[in-house]
Amino acid sequence: MSNHRLTLRDGVGTLIDGSSGKVNFTFDGKPYTGRKGDTLASALLANGVKLIARSFKYHRPRGIVSAGSEEPSALVTLRSGARSEPNIRATEIELYEGLEAKSQNRFPSLAFDAMAVNQLAGKALGAGFYYKTFMGPKSPGHTATKFWEFCEASIRRAAGLGRAPLEADPDRYARMHAYCDVLVVGSGAAGIAAARRAASAGARVILCDERATAGGSLTGAADMIGGEPAHVWVAEAVAELAAMDNVTVLTRTTVQSLFDDGTIFAIERVADHKATPDKGEPRQRAWQIVAKSTVIATGALERPIVFGGNDRPGVMLADAARRYAVEFGVAPGRAVTVFTNNDTGWLAARDMARTGTIVNAIIDVRQDVSDHIRAAGAETRAAIHVGSAVVGTHGWNELTGISVGSFDERTGVASPGNRRIPCDCLAVSGGWSPAFHLTSQQGGKPIWDAELQAFLPGEPAEESNTRWHGAGAMAGKFGLRAAFRSGEEAAAKALADASFGEGESHVPSIDGDELDHAPAPVFEIRNTGKAFVDLQHDVTADDVRLAEREGFRSVEHLKRYTTLGMATDQGKTSNVTGLAIMAHARNMDIPDVGTTRFRPPYTPTAIGTIAGEAYGHLAPTRRTPMQDWHEARARCFPNGPWMRPESYNADGESVEQAYIRETKAVRAGVGIVDVSTLGKIDIQGPDATEFINRIYSNAFAKLPVGKARYGLMLREDGILFDDGTTWRLDDHRYLMTTTTAGAGLVMEHLEYHRDVVWPDLKVALTSVTDEWAGVAVAGPKSRDLLAACVEDCDVSDTGLPFMGVRDGTIGGIPVKLARLSFSGEMAFEVYCGFTHGQAIWDALLAAGEPLGVTPYGLEALGTLRIEKGHVAGPELNGRTTAHDLGLGGMVSTKKPFVGKVLGERPALHEDDRLQLVAIASLDGQRIRGGSHLVQGGKDDVGRSEGHTTSTCFSPELNRYVSLALLEGGRARHGERMFAANPIRGMHVAVEVVSPHMVDPDGGRMRG
Amino acid sequence: MAKRAKMMTPDPVSPIGEAAMPRAASGDAGITLSERLPSSFVQVQAWPDTVAKAAKVIDKLAGEGVTIMATGPGRWLIESDETGLEDSLRKALKTDAAAVTGLTHARVVITASGLKVDWVLASGIALDFANMEPGDVALTAHHGIPLTIRRLPDVADRKAYDLTVFSSYARDFWGWLERAGEEVGLAVA
Repeated sequence: MSNHRLTLRDGVGTLIDGSSGKVNFTFDGKPYTGRKGDTLASALLANGVKLIARSFKYHRPRGIVSAGSEEPSALVTLRSGARSEPNIRATEIELYEGLEAKSQNRFPSLAFDAMAVNQLAGKALGAGFYYKTFMGPKSPGHTATKFWEFCEASIRRAAGLGRAPLEADPDRYARMHAYCDVLVVGSGAAGIAAARRAASAGARVILCDERATAGGSLTGAADMIGGEPAHVWVAEAVAELAAMDNVTVLTRTTVQSLFDDGTIFAIERVADHKATPDKGEPRQRAWQIVAKSTVIATGALERPIVFGGNDRPGVMLADAARRYAVEFGVAPGRAVTVFTNNDTGWLAARDMARTGTIVNAIIDVRQDVSDHIRAAGAETRAAIHVGSAVVGTHGWNELTGISVGSFDERTGVASPGNRRIPCDCLAVSGGWSPAFHLTSQQGGKPIWDAELQAFLPGEPAEESNTRWHGAGAMAGKFGLRAAFRSGEEAAAKALADASFGEGESHVPSIDGDELDHAPAPVFEIRNTGKAFVDLQHDVTADDVRLAEREGFRSVEHLKRYTTLGMATDQGKTSNVTGLAIMAHARNMDIPDVGTTRFRPPYTPTAIGTIAGEAYGHLAPTRRTPMQDWHEARARCFPNGPWMRPESYNADGESVEQAYIRETKAVRAGVGIVDVSTLGKIDIQGPDATEFINRIYSNAFAKLPVGKARYGLMLREDGILFDDGTTWRLDDHRYLMTTTTAGAGLVMEHLEYHRDVVWPDLKVALTSVTDEWAGVAVAGPKSRDLLAACVEDCDVSDTGLPFMGVRDGTIGGIPVKLARLSFSGEMAFEVYCGFTHGQAIWDALLAAGEPLGVTPYGLEALGTLRIEKGHVAGPELNGRTTAHDLGLGGMVSTKKPFVGKVLGERPALHEDDRLQLVAIASLDGQRIRGGSHLVQGGKDDVGRSEGHTTSTCFSPELNRYVSLALLEGGRARHGERMFAANPIRGMHVAVEVVSPHMVDPDGGRMRG
Repeated sequence: MAKRAKMMTPDPVSPIGEAAMPRAASGDAGITLSERLPSSFVQVQAWPDTVAKAAKVIDKLAGEGVTIMATGPGRWLIESDETGLEDSLRKALKTDAAAVTGLTHARVVITASGLKVDWVLASGIALDFANMEPGDVALTAHHGIPLTIRRLPDVADRKAYDLTVFSSYARDFWGWLERAGEEVGLAVA
């Protein structure tokens, strides 16, 4: 029989939409059908497919273990092509029409995996295999041992899980910010109780649940609540909550992290249950929720019992088996045997039997069980074996039967199996571990509860300022009544945190089982065969004991030596069992062994979801008003936050040809360049002059109104920080310009000094970078160009002298004109309102047409300033001083300014510091940026005596040149050396020259 | 000096460009955007001992066509649908009373409204929009883009906000709004 689907009816298939048709899907290319409401796991089980995966290390056959996000084994690759995603838990994937899933880590097929030969080397591949085998002294010239390098490729092929696609992800990932008074994590009985009470007080409530259907364990519980079946009651309760204006219910939303200040990070799987997202719909949405208080009602995770062959497909957790039967209407096997150390295993058997699933045996390590539980067992008609244990499993790729022996609770020893029970599903319950991952992230130290044989979340850490309250099974409050009560109590505390009243109590009547939730302290049945603690990383009980024998006894060492608790499930089902085995090996109590701290996220999270809308670029882009014009004619590239044109290439022209042409045009005629990106800061106030004079290293106190001055700004340690011109617009008002990249940092620098260092000064600082568009007009014909279009301003040498600032208009648009030069030629900067930038650009082009005006890009701009020896970002590198760059004359010796005292340290004035020079290529070869200046030929390279900073081909000198920083460089003009760039294989003969390669006396720019 | 007949100042050009041209949503629009280039947008920063004096001047501006937003101690952003606000404030508030900075070209105002406007904005802006009342102003940021957000009075039961953004960032921010609005349907008025 391959069809395990049960007859759907009330209480059987509570999550299945019985009215819908079949849903088609494929697994490893083979077509199957399921039902709407199925997960991939339940649909595969319904089709009788039990072999789902191969294990990480030994390639052992693996099946479905759980029914939720804790799944360690049934990992698949979902979808294909660019949308394929590896290591997805089959137990969480909602079935949709056309779903494609593939198994992983097998060759050539899942059923016959050649790498399963690894099992034969099981002893050798135990804990510490890699350390013992491959660690050792590095071989000469190698990064590891030769043996590792020999084996690495084949080991990497054989180990691991799925493979990520190489194509770009076509889907979008969104982000959402939300605020609430009370966040409730988990929508089981405790969570629902908490949400209802918090909502009744008028608090803003967000209720999150990781499953598609809210309700937690109530969606499959056999209890009656408020006179209705639990799944009916909870559906109504959730609908009521969702209808309230002050409540947001988020399903398919996993709360991954609990951070400081009440900040919660959650992932909503918006479209993972569809083949492709709808138009505009993100695939996943990252929620950043700030809550005044949080109720954590995340339930508990059932844990297995460890015994030989416990990983065989068909062995699963008892509650998972129950959920498949009750919630999905799928019999987990044709004959199900239950193995338990606690009461919940018996109820799982009973609930399965009620769906029509055949339960043939119940095995309990305990000798004594309550009458209520015995009655539940009797209802199943299964054979009852108390005081017994599973000591072995049979089958190959699927379970076919188990061996059962008697178990002595006092000694913890099982006899060899003398009874064999045929079954294809063994449902195991080893007790429950509260899911306190979120509280652990916040530093809450877990506390061992000897009765429940489980760690409980403990109290919030003292240093945590995130308010949370545990409820339900997560807080050790097992059973429906306790869950409802604790949910309400937690909500009342959360309401108090958020300054609300207590709200109304809504505890409904409950008719259900009363259980003893204390399991027998049995974690492992020692017998022969591989007994797995961590199914995902193939860590066995023997591995844990081996680690103990070899001295890796602390839990941190245990984890790293064996990899217990690592990988995608982070040991959700294995951590406590691993600790118990280590404790036994060390003859200690479990809590004395210690615990590791859970780290976010709770479940694996797609990187795209974290990146969100930052996808494609890492920062927003600023655009000048002329950017459209540039993009239509030039390749643009990022320069700080801006996009800027590289060069305006004519047809067939290379970038180098284009910038040489543009540079020549400026030197011989006139060119224009967009300088809107320069930082611009409005500085006003009665103390503005004093402030600026303290900030700059050179004198500004006597700068006349209507004039600009080039200024140097130092850090407090005397190192150069930024440069630019500052224009005095009136007695108490200045316009400071900064470098493009330095604008934000300069603003911070100024604000810091105003607010912290000199709070007595009345100075207002405002970024006006976006108020002004700027165009530099450069070249010997620049004045002619302006004369042709500027009104209301005399642009003659008298009317607008060097460093003068005037107001005028162009085409009716108000402009500010400043006679400044970065190029070394006569030049002007024309500033206008930002939204008039394109109009001014067009007007300058039109006026300059008879003069042959040439727009130029950043490459030509750089070439012009390199030829002139003007410094920029590569020279202002955070290590150079004004003296290093030949600007010592701009450092005042008379006035105090930022950086003065520390700038006088002798070490900053030594003659052998790196100093600004230029170098010129002697052999016609290009000089690359970052080349080192050395003595000696290619085969006899001396030490680095400096390096190049800004390089170009100089049309003026007709050879490749570069600005450079060279030890004692100012005294070395005329010296010959080499610019070595060994990475590119370049070794260029160069001559050290003055950095002022063009117009050293400044005659051209002064006109 | 060139001498020509006086010309009218040309209209400003939208930093957002063609994307801000009106268009309908392909289905129901959960959010509707429109762009406004201010006629005047001015920042006033009073000194610690002149706040009351500056406030008195600013209070007199209140009225039709003027929006006053207090953005810090002794600091206001003022938008007017008339030109010349910077000059008139500079005359009314000398340097010893306050710094007056013109930002008319530096800011673009995007009005966002609709049934889903909070949802779209909250997808990129860490602000509790549910707690903003009409007239409330917040200084915040989206993905590194500085924003001034002011809640407007509801229009036909739909919430509305003025989002004031730096001109050089306006197109990038508009692009994000368009992308974020795809999920709920977006129209441009």
